[in-house]
Amino acid sequence: MASPSLVARRPEVLLAVLLSLCLVGLSLQVRRPGGRTAGQTWLLAAVSPFVEAVTSLRAGAADVGTWASSRRTLFAANRALSSEVERLEGELLRLREAESDKKRLLELLASQPSPPARTVPARLIAIESSGPFRTGLLDRGSSDGVLVDGVVVAPGGLVGRVIAIGPRTARLQLLSDRTAAAGVLLPRGARAAVAKGDGKGGIAVEYVPAIEPVEKNDLVVTSGTDGLYPNGLAVGRVSALARKSTLFWDIQLEPAADPQRETLVFVLPPVRRPDVQGGPAAGDRR
Amino acid sequence: MKAVRVAAGLALAVLATLAFGALRSPAPPDFFLLVVADMARGGGAAPALLAGVPAGLLEDALQGPQALLGLHAFTKILVGYLLATIGSRTVVEKPLAVGGLLAGAVLVEAATLTFLLWVLRGDVLAPAGWLLFARAVTTGLVGGALYAASRVPWRQRRAARKRMRLT
Repeated sequence: MASPSLVARRPEVLLAVLLSLCLVGLSLQVRRPGGRTAGQTWLLAAVSPFVEAVTSLRAGAADVGTWASSRRTLFAANRALSSEVERLEGELLRLREAESDKKRLLELLASQPSPPARTVPARLIAIESSGPFRTGLLDRGSSDGVLVDGVVVAPGGLVGRVIAIGPRTARLQLLSDRTAAAGVLLPRGARAAVAKGDGKGGIAVEYVPAIEPVEKNDLVVTSGTDGLYPNGLAVGRVSALARKSTLFWDIQLEPAADPQRETLVFVLPPVRRPDVQGGPAAGDRR
Repeated sequence: MKAVRVAAGLALAVLATLAFGALRSPAPPDFFLLVVADMARGGGAAPALLAGVPAGLLEDALQGPQALLGLHAFTKILVGYLLATIGSRTVVEKPLAVGGLLAGAVLVEAATLTFLLWVLRGDVLAPAGWLLFARAVTTGLVGGALYAASRVPWRQRRAARKRMRLT
């Protein structure tokens, strides 16, 4: 404890040591309001930094694990959502297309409240251009009631006519084909004329006398005299007007139905049934 | 030699305390204080301090296992130092003065004990006033009596009685 000489000289040192030991011993025994002794409280206070450090490390490790797990989960969810978005975008496009088709169909029904019997709706699924020739492909064929020389119309007007059929598909000749022609009427003088495809997407009206009154934006319709198309179908509007010579007009039409934009068309029964099913039509000059 | 004296005194103190406890005495004297005071007599602080440790621990042990071990050791050490300091600076010869000093030591110890319990537990556990007073009085009486008895020259008296019988 202390040397005898020191104790003899300074008993206060011994007093302080003994009293301190007593106080420490008592403090270790006294229970605090929390139920712990002072010694336990001191021990907890002494080890609490270590415990906190371990707890922090454990929490940090758990956070890292949670972050990694969340990252994997988020990546998987992101992939799933991306594919879902792609699927929904496709669905949206399909719905928009269906809405557009519905709108066109309603427009067509409004313009033709009573479509002819055996009218077949079809999709214009392809347009082919080869030199002066312009044809299209329909997704309906003979099994759907499509016949050769069937008249193909769109909500805007005349598109062309069926020139060949298969069981499920049909090929049509567009009116802009260089070899296609149709009898038309000019609106102002009810003058009959012939509209021919120019092979470039437009339509030309030939052999109209220069004395005939013609204006731009005049709507030219079929005359029904060619035996191929019924009368009254819109062919196009006059887009360019010039005198080819002193005798005739050079008239260019903007097609009433643009095949590049039309997807939903209707195939009307042919005006004049062909003599041989699938054979060349009378008006086909190809 | 002092250690043997302390040990014997503490043994007697234990026996006396147990005896007074068996008699259901409400305010028995503090016999352990008497042992400490005996060591402090003559101004020896170190023996008093060292005697206060076992005396207080024994007193705590006698109060049961739920007692705080060291509580009375603290007070006994403090009182032993006070008594030793007083003994080294003043001359207390008369038994009545010794008794009064011991009674005061009991009061000081009680006050210290109360303060210590308040510090450690937060409760003011002051003893009943009359019991404390009675304990101080009995401790002073017993201590004064023992001091007076210790001053009697028993050997000389016995030798004188022998001489008287022989003559």
